[in-house]
Amino acid sequence: MKFLFDLMDKHVAPLFEKGGKFERLYPLFEAGDTFARTPGDVTPSAPHVRDSIDQKRLMIFVIYALVPCILFGIWNAGNQFNIANNVEDATLATDLWRGSAMVLPIIFVSYLVGGLWEVLFALIRRHEINEGFLVTGMLFPLTLAPTMPLWQVAIGISFGIVIGKEIFGGVGYNILNPALTARAFLFFAYPAQISGDTVWVGTAKTALDNNMFFGTVAENIDGVTKATPLAVAAAAEKGTDAIAALGDAGYNWVNMTLGNIPGSIGSTSVVAIVLGLGFLIATGIASWRVILSGIIGCAAMGALFTALGLDNAFSQIPFYYHLIMGGFLFGIVFMATDPVSCSATNTGKIIYGFMIGALTVLIRVVNPAYPEGAMLAILFMNVMAPLIDHFVVQAHIKKRTAYARALNNA
Amino acid sequence: MANFKINKGFNVKVLGKPKAVVEDYASQQLFAAYPSEFEGLKPRLKVKAGDAVKRGDVLFENKKNEKMLFRSPCGGTVKAVNLGARRFPAEILIERDAQEESITFDVYTSDAVRQLSREQLVDHLLNTGLWPLIKQRPFSKIADPDKAPKAVFINAANSAPFQADFSAVLKGDESAFQTGINALSKLTEGKVHLCKSAGSDVPDFENAESHTFAGKHPSGNTSVHINRISPILPNDTVYTIAAQDVILIGKLLKTGELPRTKIIALGGPAVKEEFRKHYKVQLGASLKDLLDRALEGEEVRVVQGNVLWGDQVKADTCLRYYGSEYFVLEEDRSRHLMGWTMPGLFQYSAHRVNLSSVMGFAHEWKLGTSLHGSHRAMVVTGWMDRHQPLNIMTDFLVRAALAHDTDEMVQLGILETDPEDFALAAFVDPHKTDVCGIIKRGLEEIEEEGL
Repeated sequence: MKFLFDLMDKHVAPLFEKGGKFERLYPLFEAGDTFARTPGDVTPSAPHVRDSIDQKRLMIFVIYALVPCILFGIWNAGNQFNIANNVEDATLATDLWRGSAMVLPIIFVSYLVGGLWEVLFALIRRHEINEGFLVTGMLFPLTLAPTMPLWQVAIGISFGIVIGKEIFGGVGYNILNPALTARAFLFFAYPAQISGDTVWVGTAKTALDNNMFFGTVAENIDGVTKATPLAVAAAAEKGTDAIAALGDAGYNWVNMTLGNIPGSIGSTSVVAIVLGLGFLIATGIASWRVILSGIIGCAAMGALFTALGLDNAFSQIPFYYHLIMGGFLFGIVFMATDPVSCSATNTGKIIYGFMIGALTVLIRVVNPAYPEGAMLAILFMNVMAPLIDHFVVQAHIKKRTAYARALNNA
Repeated sequence: MANFKINKGFNVKVLGKPKAVVEDYASQQLFAAYPSEFEGLKPRLKVKAGDAVKRGDVLFENKKNEKMLFRSPCGGTVKAVNLGARRFPAEILIERDAQEESITFDVYTSDAVRQLSREQLVDHLLNTGLWPLIKQRPFSKIADPDKAPKAVFINAANSAPFQADFSAVLKGDESAFQTGINALSKLTEGKVHLCKSAGSDVPDFENAESHTFAGKHPSGNTSVHINRISPILPNDTVYTIAAQDVILIGKLLKTGELPRTKIIALGGPAVKEEFRKHYKVQLGASLKDLLDRALEGEEVRVVQGNVLWGDQVKADTCLRYYGSEYFVLEEDRSRHLMGWTMPGLFQYSAHRVNLSSVMGFAHEWKLGTSLHGSHRAMVVTGWMDRHQPLNIMTDFLVRAALAHDTDEMVQLGILETDPEDFALAAFVDPHKTDVCGIIKRGLEEIEEEGL
């Protein structure tokens, strides 16, 4: 290993450094080089020692937190497909094969296209490649339907990276969460492929699909329709019981928690999300303030609607259903906590999280056009976060001046 | 008298704490003065290479305030005046004569000092070259002699690794310290605050109010003391001084001669264990002998200051005007295989992303100078504020400084601070932002623009 690294330092590195043949490609070399080994730079000035944490480790740890969601998402996509298409000899293995065939290309396209943009901008601007895109490139596919056309994935991630991030100057300068920006773009540009009843479970094409990996499709079905719990609840007639409607569609709190239901790839399973949440909190990467206040905000708004007794079936479901339905929990744990687009003050984080939770339920219940409110709530609060921080900082300035005056007069 | 408990803070667990014993360091032949040490000072040289100087002769003066003189720490011959960038005199080297002559000044007893007027005292200190020991806030620069401060803060506390232990420094010099305090109390109409670390055995002194500070670093930083005792309001000025420097002023007044020695702490992982202690060194004397013997390791960095805040100096440095501690650590250019995913058992961190910090290892670390990552755009996360006991919203203050927003910097409290207060913020930052440098530039901008 050492031999290889010495060889790199001696013969490869000079090509990319200043005056080298591939000087323009230095960011690319630097990314690969520091991926293999931590950089050997020393502190330029005081403090003379530094913490061993860096952006790479931070971002990779978010990916680790996503692993349960990714694995469960792959299995669930395959499982839902096999159930809906009456695959006769479905096993865990065929579920995983099928799921992988559906999900992995989406992740691959997201990384490939997103990565190309990131590298392109880094080369043009001559700055290092930021690891933030690793997280964006993984979060985005997990919010999509498993049947998403790949060209749309490519367009979506392009929009997210370029418009959501790079035109502001890259990671650290953006206002919106790039992964959600990408999803919102697809949601409004190509609603047919990301909402409705037909996109959450794929339809088998018999000729192609019958083989030893995927199992045997008994009969060819024309279009599988499966509504998500949110759509079912939102469609419940006035005066009826939304819980009963969910039950008729095959949804109860147990399978909504476990997550073996149709939905976005990574966000159906509460169990998988909570595993990731535990990791993020244990390592101190995500802000517990945002997550906790978000959950409280969601529950409080749900409870408020129940208490108001509106003539709206969706508003009458118990508050804890709001927590486990749809993409809220995934959003509040992985999207809302993005340190760049979330509030930076402690008080601000609590307000920001709470508002995301409350707005999610508000959009779900009151706006019939958008059954999922989490995405819009987070994006809206991303925009509001600097404003919240502004007021918190102003309040802080008042407080600290009062503190100084009081001590001086004492 | 008050006892303060500082709740926020972080102790960097680094190896090499100096023992609280003081050893005499043999007298040296080579001495130096460093005009570049005084930030913002425009020196006018009064000597050139080959000149004979007495101990106490003027070496250079401040162009902006010609009363402010800087005197020679020894008698002998000026060996060289080395110029730095833009022909700025960086160091003046002086070879000591066997028979050195000294210049003497007026002698004052501890009580006579109390009878002096402020003006007389200020002129005396300016003339003898000890005035620059007194610094001021805001801007953390040499105190403006014309502006009477609302208070004087003496820092006798230590919390950063590793500052000299003032209780060891003080032994035997109590009366000089008292004389120094008496002098400082003449400079202000307000109080003189003596700030000590909780648990240190520094006694109380007359004409000064004692306070103790408990808690992790930065509980020993002057800014924290000011913030808790008498925060700076707009247009306020306070004077600050290190406790050992008060002894120097006291000695000057009592003996009528420039003080001869100072006690320094030498510590850090690259100092051999038997050399990690305090040394009584002649002011301005070369430390080459000591450092030659004391250091170990292939490539080391000598820091004049502590590990969190100080300047890198050469290993043949002479004792500088400011500061009483030296920290030596190894340059760490090692590269680790896939550092982004390794468990991190052998990497030190204040965050819980390393197993070492999750398991809470209690041992002291042999830290090196590795940056542990590469520079990235700053993200305002609130992490920089996590160990900040000053109520200044560190992240936002740094952002305001980056954006050259002087109004917001002032409102957020930059005038209370010194760049050293941001060392922990820079330490924990995953984006490797040069926080201290940004704050320093911010302070300079505000000073240029005027308040």
